[in-house]
Amino acid sequence: MGLFDEQVAAVERFLAEERSAGNVREFRAGSRPAWPSEQSLVLEDDTAIELGNPRIASLSSLVWSEGPVEDGRISLVGPDVSEMDERGVPFAQVVIAGGKFTDVYESYRDVREAIYDTVLEGFMVRTMPSRQSIWCRISREAVSGGFSLEDLGDALIWNLKTVEPVTGAEVLFVTSSVADVERLAPAASGARRVIEALMKMYEEKNFDCETCEYRDVCDEVMDLKKIRERLADQKAGAGP
Amino acid sequence: MILAVCGKGGVGKTTISAVAAAALRRRAGVRVLVVDGDPAGGLGMALSVEAKKTLNDVRVEVIDEVKAGERSKRGLAQAMDYRLAEAIIENGNLAFLSIGRPDDVGCYCRVNSFLKMAIESLAGGFDMTVIDAEAGIEQVNRDVMATVDYILLVSDTSAKGVRVAETIRDVAKRMVGGDGAGLVINRVRDEGEVESIRRSTSLDVIGWIPEDDSIRRYDENMTSFFDLPECPARISIENALKATGLL
Repeated sequence: MGLFDEQVAAVERFLAEERSAGNVREFRAGSRPAWPSEQSLVLEDDTAIELGNPRIASLSSLVWSEGPVEDGRISLVGPDVSEMDERGVPFAQVVIAGGKFTDVYESYRDVREAIYDTVLEGFMVRTMPSRQSIWCRISREAVSGGFSLEDLGDALIWNLKTVEPVTGAEVLFVTSSVADVERLAPAASGARRVIEALMKMYEEKNFDCETCEYRDVCDEVMDLKKIRERLADQKAGAGP
Repeated sequence: MILAVCGKGGVGKTTISAVAAAALRRRAGVRVLVVDGDPAGGLGMALSVEAKKTLNDVRVEVIDEVKAGERSKRGLAQAMDYRLAEAIIENGNLAFLSIGRPDDVGCYCRVNSFLKMAIESLAGGFDMTVIDAEAGIEQVNRDVMATVDYILLVSDTSAKGVRVAETIRDVAKRMVGGDGAGLVINRVRDEGEVESIRRSTSLDVIGWIPEDDSIRRYDENMTSFFDLPECPARISIENALKATGLL
């Protein structure tokens, strides 16, 4: 059992449905040269493609699993950058990291930092972690240079695997439609609730279930309940 | 490079900021961030740019993020960057951000502290940042100027205007290194006034701007200073910027 079993299963179901409809393209990380890494500011005037503008749908989710992860798989549902007909495109980015996360709190922070640290030349990303929103701009220069979502997936996976407990990682991008992005929303918001509950336990050290707004999450996610019990025991053992 | 335009109220800071922003914007390949640091919001009007969301709105939204459970510094920085991207109005190679004003009564120190953070976060992506600072020394006191490379002090020909400029220079001295400040004298009617000020101040007078009906007309008609044609005032402002290597 893991913290995000339900969400990982939901993403797998989404992928299976899209795969059976012939809508999924798969790439392997590391199969093309790495895109140059550089912090970029892409102004509107220089923008060729905008993914997940706040006026369109967007979703960004990070989960991890101690079960098997299809390491290096980059799945794409919808057009890649060079195939996009419109400048503004809905966008979902789902990252699944695999490994043995003994200290889930530290691991979460490290994995999240690895995602934040993914910077690519001609690609600007803004994220709103609490709302799972992601807004990216790809410059004209990057598009004419052949930038693909495969490059983004490759960079994310590479950075994630620099985090010690991460042994494998896969990424899913959805650019097909607002409806498809929204299909992943329940899993993303579920993952966010688990993370918020986790953060509250570690940072507030308040284990009063009666007053906790995340009680329903703990009741559903066994691993979270175990963490809560362990932390509560540690607190009790530490004395006044 | 971050330039702040400072001085006493009513001396023409906003006009000079607008003309400077327009001049910088005309340079090919230069990205300019323009910050209306005055809660009165005059720079937006001078450039015919209407901010739908202000820096103060962003500050409130980031506070909401904390209330919603976001606790990590990095997560909050991400939220701030996202909200700033929403607040910025882009026009070609120029981006505009307005500080706005808090809804609640009280001092502006919180929004000024936030302004400093926002400038630190944003300015690196731009070749030039122009801040039209609020009148007086509040933002200088609030460390906003710690981010600034050069303070363009503005005064009219009044002794009071020049004294306020000197005070700003003195307060900012420990924050802005080297020769990071110069005085521009605005609304000059004859050159003798400039010579008299030069003799009376320790400030480095880098230029002066004559009274110019074009400026008054643009102000009265609320025409964008982006469209200001070459006129004595515009040429003088551009010359002052060139004298300091800013243009």
